[in-house]
Amino acid sequence: MTTETLFRTRGVLGVGALDVARLDLRLRRRATLSYAVGLALYTLAVVAIYPSFKGDTSLDKLVQSDPTMMAAFGVTGSLTSPEGWLNANIFNNFLPVVAVIVAIGYGAWCVAGQDEAGTLAPVAALPVTRRNLVLQKTGALVVQLLPTMVLTFCCVLLGRFFQLDVSGVRLVAATFSIWLLGVGFGLLALVVGVGAGSRGLAIGVSSAVAAAAYLISSFASTISWIRPARFVSPFYWAVGANPIGDGVAASNIAALVGLAVLLLVAAVVTMRRADLH
Amino acid sequence: MPMTDAVSASRLTKTFGSRRGVVDVDLRVRRGEVFGFLGPNGAGKSTTIRLMLGLYRPTAGEITVLGRDPLLDGVAMRAKVGYLPGELALFPRLTGREHLEWFSRARAMRSTTYRDELVERFTVELDRPVRALSKGNRQKIGIVLAFMHRPELLVLDEPTSGLDPLLQDEFAQLLRETAADGRTVFLSSHELDEVQRIADRVAIIREGRIVVTDGVEQLRRSAPRTVEFVFEREVDPGAFSGVDGVRLIENVDHRMRLAFSGAIAPLLRVAAELEPVDMTARAADLEELFLTYYRDDARTTEVGR
Ligand SMILES: Nc1ncnc2c1ncn2[C@@H]1O[C@H](COP(=O)(O)OP(=O)(O)OP(=O)(O)O)[C@@H](O)[C@H]1O
Ligand SMILES: [Mg+2]
Repeated sequence: MTTETLFRTRGVLGVGALDVARLDLRLRRRATLSYAVGLALYTLAVVAIYPSFKGDTSLDKLVQSDPTMMAAFGVTGSLTSPEGWLNANIFNNFLPVVAVIVAIGYGAWCVAGQDEAGTLAPVAALPVTRRNLVLQKTGALVVQLLPTMVLTFCCVLLGRFFQLDVSGVRLVAATFSIWLLGVGFGLLALVVGVGAGSRGLAIGVSSAVAAAAYLISSFASTISWIRPARFVSPFYWAVGANPIGDGVAASNIAALVGLAVLLLVAAVVTMRRADLH
Repeated sequence: MPMTDAVSASRLTKTFGSRRGVVDVDLRVRRGEVFGFLGPNGAGKSTTIRLMLGLYRPTAGEITVLGRDPLLDGVAMRAKVGYLPGELALFPRLTGREHLEWFSRARAMRSTTYRDELVERFTVELDRPVRALSKGNRQKIGIVLAFMHRPELLVLDEPTSGLDPLLQDEFAQLLRETAADGRTVFLSSHELDEVQRIADRVAIIREGRIVVTDGVEQLRRSAPRTVEFVFEREVDPGAFSGVDGVRLIENVDHRMRLAFSGAIAPLLRVAAELEPVDMTARAADLEELFLTYYRDDARTTEVGR
């Protein structure tokens, strides 16, 4: 394809299919990489100290003595099995929480935040539809969670050298569902931000929803009256059970995908009616 | 295809909850003219401009820009429009060059020759992050971003804010060239003076409503000027009651300020009889201009009527 025809195609489509996404990723580059590196270092540490805790039965007794308290930190079941160790230290808590924080931060900033800062108007004044803007920003959301996910995944794989031998398939499924979880909360923040026209409100509301969902998921196994609520918690869908040991059910992954699609539709609809400054 | 107006709005209304934005705005901007949009703070200039670009949804009324509906057909319209926002915000960490390159790419510009000419002409600082630039230097980047793709219509919200007088002249020159090229400029401003210097026609907006739309020449002719006479003694303003188009603004300490429109000779004849010791005259400012369209404003009284 010559440059000439390339330009003409881009002209017809309006703003190049990826320009806005590229710009946002560029602007968030530093934050994205910091989170990814931070989480990778944490994961490496968790993996590397496993051999010294492996035989420590007192840890499991601790969990048995106060299961509710431990559940608040996402710890259920055996801590000393490879699966239990990874669940309790990474997949039930740290990784999903960081993914959700990164995603909410971007979701709230990418429209509401940029609009409040005044930088969205020059972009929205380009030949681009509102739908295209939302799709590109969703694309940027999906992509910027990748480094964290992939790096963490790779670091967990290194566990093979530290007696942490777990199913690769389940590892992939767990990481993938956490990634979807992040995308869902990022889109929630985007929708609230566009609807309310406020980045602060977007962060507040989606963090509150995320915290509630996290607590429901964590306590579902130990507090009986919370147990029925687990089915409304996306955290539960993703990592509520024993993701590394049992894997994540396909139906749960489907629910996470469905939620993200629903929120994406909501984002496009709200964005079309929004006043931008 | 017959050439439509560059902008045409009828009964365009935008409210924010119970707050007024603009009410029943009628506008026609012809192709190839420089159109000034004049009004004090909070009058509704930026609101109208955002409606033109499809950034705001109208509450009621209609608007077409380059013959297209900004909401239904905004992509095709915005491809031919250049926009300079009122309080221009750029991405603080990116440099001017990075801005120009990103926007050129996003607009799929075939050539950057004109863009680079503009950069040279306005001596745009390209290599520092924009957060390290002065307001004027950021504004220059905004000007290049608005003009670089040679749009058919330029929508400029207070474009000269922050520019020094030399650059304001250069900018006025750029507007004249743009219009001579058959393209259209729509610009908002607080300053009657500025608009008179560069616009062909003017609309004045006040409290969300268009007060008048007219050619700059006609406006100038009908616009009041302010004359101040200094006398040695107290003088009765009633002396001017016979002169058409004169209005008293104030009369204190032997100083009498009058607003008048029309020819000055009859006024001078009457004034000469009263033996003033000094006189100054100047063009009306925006606020005084509004008063001529709001004759019943409480702060002024008609002389002798
Ligand atoms: N997003 C908004 N939400 C609420 N009110 C708004 C909004 N945008 C504008 N307004 C109101 O609409 C009116 C017109 O504002 P606008 O910004 O159009 O004025 P302006 O003529 O551009 O003023 P200035 O010269 O100060 O830029 C103001 O009273 C303002 O408070
Ligand atoms: Mg304004």
